[in-house]
Amino acid sequence: MSKALIIDDEQQMRRLLRMVLESRGYEVSEAADGQLGLQEAAFQRPDVVLLDLGLPGMSGLEVLKRLREWTDVPVLILSVRDQEGVKVEALECGADDYVTKPFGTAELLARLTVIQRRRFTRQSAEVVVGTLKLDLLHHEAFVETAPIKLTPTEFALLKALAEHAGRIVTQNQIIRQVWSGQCSDQSEGLRVHINHLRKKLGDTGPRIVNEPGIGYRLESLADQAHPSETVR
Amino acid sequence: MNTINASHKPLRPQVSVDVVSQFSWGLTTLFVLASTCWVLLPYTGYLFSALVFLMAIVLARTRCNRGPVLTMAVVSALVWNFIFIPPQFTLHIEKPQDIIMFAMFFVVALSMGHLITQLRAREEALERHHREREQLLAAKHRAELLAESERLHRTLLDSVSHELKTPIAIIRTALDGLGEGNPFAAEIDTANRRLQRIVENFLEMTRVDSDALKPHLEWCEIGDVLHAATTPLQHELSHHPLVITGTEALPLLMLDSRLLAQALGNVLHNATIYAPDATPIEIHATLENGMLEIRVRDHGPGLPLGTEDQLFDKFYRAPDSPAGGTGLGLAISRGLMRAMQGCIEAQNHPEGGAEFRLSLPVKTRHV
Repeated sequence: MSKALIIDDEQQMRRLLRMVLESRGYEVSEAADGQLGLQEAAFQRPDVVLLDLGLPGMSGLEVLKRLREWTDVPVLILSVRDQEGVKVEALECGADDYVTKPFGTAELLARLTVIQRRRFTRQSAEVVVGTLKLDLLHHEAFVETAPIKLTPTEFALLKALAEHAGRIVTQNQIIRQVWSGQCSDQSEGLRVHINHLRKKLGDTGPRIVNEPGIGYRLESLADQAHPSETVR
Repeated sequence: MNTINASHKPLRPQVSVDVVSQFSWGLTTLFVLASTCWVLLPYTGYLFSALVFLMAIVLARTRCNRGPVLTMAVVSALVWNFIFIPPQFTLHIEKPQDIIMFAMFFVVALSMGHLITQLRAREEALERHHREREQLLAAKHRAELLAESERLHRTLLDSVSHELKTPIAIIRTALDGLGEGNPFAAEIDTANRRLQRIVENFLEMTRVDSDALKPHLEWCEIGDVLHAATTPLQHELSHHPLVITGTEALPLLMLDSRLLAQALGNVLHNATIYAPDATPIEIHATLENGMLEIRVRDHGPGLPLGTEDQLFDKFYRAPDSPAGGTGLGLAISRGLMRAMQGCIEAQNHPEGGAEFRLSLPVKTRHV
């Protein structure tokens, strides 16, 4: 049974989330502020943390930074804010994904499942996302077993997205991974390569979804079965 | 450069008038003092007049520049020599001590004049410096006040946003827990979504009104903008086929895709309200001379005549619009487009239906 920790100052929200999660077999603990949340995290060793960004006192962002000093437990950000900057900052501080309140239960559970899937471990030379298969050993890519031709940059880009399939990856994170060591602004190059990749993946491969001002998410057709109408 | 010269020209004669008046003031003063000393000469002796002249030079600093002061020094030395030092009315000096005294007077008068004018210049510089400092301080103070009020505004908006959206979020999650199939729950859900839209519109209108919107430009694909605009409207758009044309040919665009998507989303939402179900909504994008234009056309009843401009006013609602809605959506769109240096217009399409045009200047890059 996996353990979830909810850090949110709204009691009603915590109670509801507890009901939703317990009905899915999670063992739930909760905390009403950042300080308590950090204590609970150390004490309970949860498998996943749901963290509200707008906490009183110690901000959610601060809690996240403190958590990341000693654990890489998956963290899902809950936020009512529209400010893209805060979300990007949270993601770059190590949050795994976010949902914006009000969110649907299905969307929340789908995100939790994705971020709890063990983070990419380099035990296999293959990454599979829906119909897409990446052979890291030979630098080859297949959609429904048909090989697609990729340039080295496109391959690196697709690998960066596929390793985090279903999860949001910020523009800076992609650029750091694909163009590491090159200091010039690569955001334009990123757009160009995303454009090429989309064409090569076609209609049968996974989709590269843009979230304005934040980054990209590689969604396999199976992931898209989950309704995500409130993604904003 | 030309304008600066032009603006300086009228000052020229003024400056010379000023200098002339300073010269005449200096010489008149010397004349008056010399006459007085001449009258007093039998009682005071000729050394007295030398001191009077020196005093005049010291006093001249309050109103004269370098040139007039130095001239006064030279003229007073000559006048003293000519009129007062015996033998009078010659420049010739008889006694050796008088020669020394004349030389000393000359040196003292000149150097005093020099020092005094320097002092004056320094005082003026100091005063100017002081004034500039005051102005800078005032500007800094104003900027700090502005930043503080902006911060306060943002904090207030954030906290109001939090307070209003949290209950809506709780209702949403609780409804999901109830499960589908309950008709009462479905009604609450519809009302809750409507409430959410109203709250978001009010908050967004406040943001647009407070000029707190700073477009964040980045390279975008038009397809991503349309995706972001239509995704939150999936439910409403499910009754209208979307026909999108012109987007394939567009290059990368430098713009704030979030703001544009929001402006476009409100226009699309508006179309879904007025156009009958199952009628298509057409989106056509073009790029011409660095202007991106997105046209949204519906096949509804069109705009009531004469409302093409009022439409974008805050709280304006067309006479026959259905209940619900705040009359803010299009006003927000206009605010967002303006924040991006763009504009939005509406008109009736010649073949029926309303047509909205959103246009804005963009930098482009071909893929």
